[in-house]
Amino acid sequence: MRPRHHPDDSTLLGYSAAALPEAFAAVTAAHLAVCGRCRDQLRAADEIGGRLLEQLDGTALAPSSRDAILSRLRDVRVETAPIPQEPRPVDHDLLPPALRPYFGERWSALRWKFIAPGVRTIEASGLAGGKLTLLKTAPGKRIPKHTHGANELTMILTGAYDDALGHFSAGDVADLDSDIEHEPVTSGGAPCICVAATDAPLVFSSWLARKFQRFFGL
Amino acid sequence: MAFPPTMVHDSPPASKVTLFRAKTTVSETRHEPGSDPAYWSQQMALLGRERDTASFMRIYDHFAPKLHRYLLSVGEGNAQAEELVQEAMLRVWRHCQAFDARQASLSTWIFQIVRNLRVDRIRRRAQASVAPIDPALLHTELSQEPEAYVDNALLAQAIDRLAPTEARLVRMSYLESKSHHEISQELEMPLGTVKSTLRRSFQKLSAALRGSA
Repeated sequence: MRPRHHPDDSTLLGYSAAALPEAFAAVTAAHLAVCGRCRDQLRAADEIGGRLLEQLDGTALAPSSRDAILSRLRDVRVETAPIPQEPRPVDHDLLPPALRPYFGERWSALRWKFIAPGVRTIEASGLAGGKLTLLKTAPGKRIPKHTHGANELTMILTGAYDDALGHFSAGDVADLDSDIEHEPVTSGGAPCICVAATDAPLVFSSWLARKFQRFFGL
Repeated sequence: MAFPPTMVHDSPPASKVTLFRAKTTVSETRHEPGSDPAYWSQQMALLGRERDTASFMRIYDHFAPKLHRYLLSVGEGNAQAEELVQEAMLRVWRHCQAFDARQASLSTWIFQIVRNLRVDRIRRRAQASVAPIDPALLHTELSQEPEAYVDNALLAQAIDRLAPTEARLVRMSYLESKSHHEISQELEMPLGTVKSTLRRSFQKLSAALRGSA
């Protein structure tokens, strides 16, 4: 997998700074796991964080903390460098590690909710910020034309879709803000599954889609 | 630091800083090594090879108060901040052999450790089950050969040269953990402008890291 569409640099910077709402951090982490280009970018962003940390004047800790850490060192073993492991066979039923805390381990155990013909979703609960949704669309189906109240960060997990911004397949990320209106259409013969982080509801352009949205709480 | 005065309102006056420094360096670390990354890499090498407690405490005395300041600044409560400092420093000890000076300076490595700790905790707060964060993720599969050494001085200059608004947004992100949305509301700046300003700042700073600034 070599993604061609990446999160915006401002999103990677936010991830580095631990400043993204949780839903956006989860999608970004899922993309970082499959994208060497973005891991390099993150490393550069972390250098900035390291430099800003270095520039800070310190704030003294409680006087006892030096002794406390010294005594805790005795109980903590230094871990030796990990031995490279044989690559394990890929288990196609496993969700990406970054998404398992929110949706569970296995694709086969997911309980999809019908929201419109050919469109099913699962919404994660208990997030500290933003909304995280799995979205499955049948081949040839389209998500009605919409813009975003604020930001949307979507990563394709399986299948592919096309919209005005291009062709998006597994590993690709669409990092969209409120100005962009799009109408993704699932391409190829397989369903498209993506995970989307949003920090405000989608804004559908048509009356019918808005009605659907009210009804199904999309 | 070249950030506008409004950004450093929480800095103690210079006289207090001096006082507090005298208090935190009661140990044998009198030869203040400053922010020379080569010095810290050397301390880490000693730590990795010989489990040298004195090297560890030199690292602790230098970085723990900075981490403490950072964690208070991003909004952790007093007790939580102190506990996270200890937790992060214990990870430095435990994983010292994974540190690779060719890939990151020590301050960057410690920044990554504490960031991962915070992300992990946010996740744990919200979720019953947590996937462990893979500590190897950041240090493997780089698509490019790492530079022999990251030039901290060039990066520091580039930070100083950011426009005031750029510097302010970078600081709000890193040192206050403000989301794009929060920055946009607080500064009454359109979200698109927040993102484009951060994007431009990042591009300037990473150009400096590549040595082409």
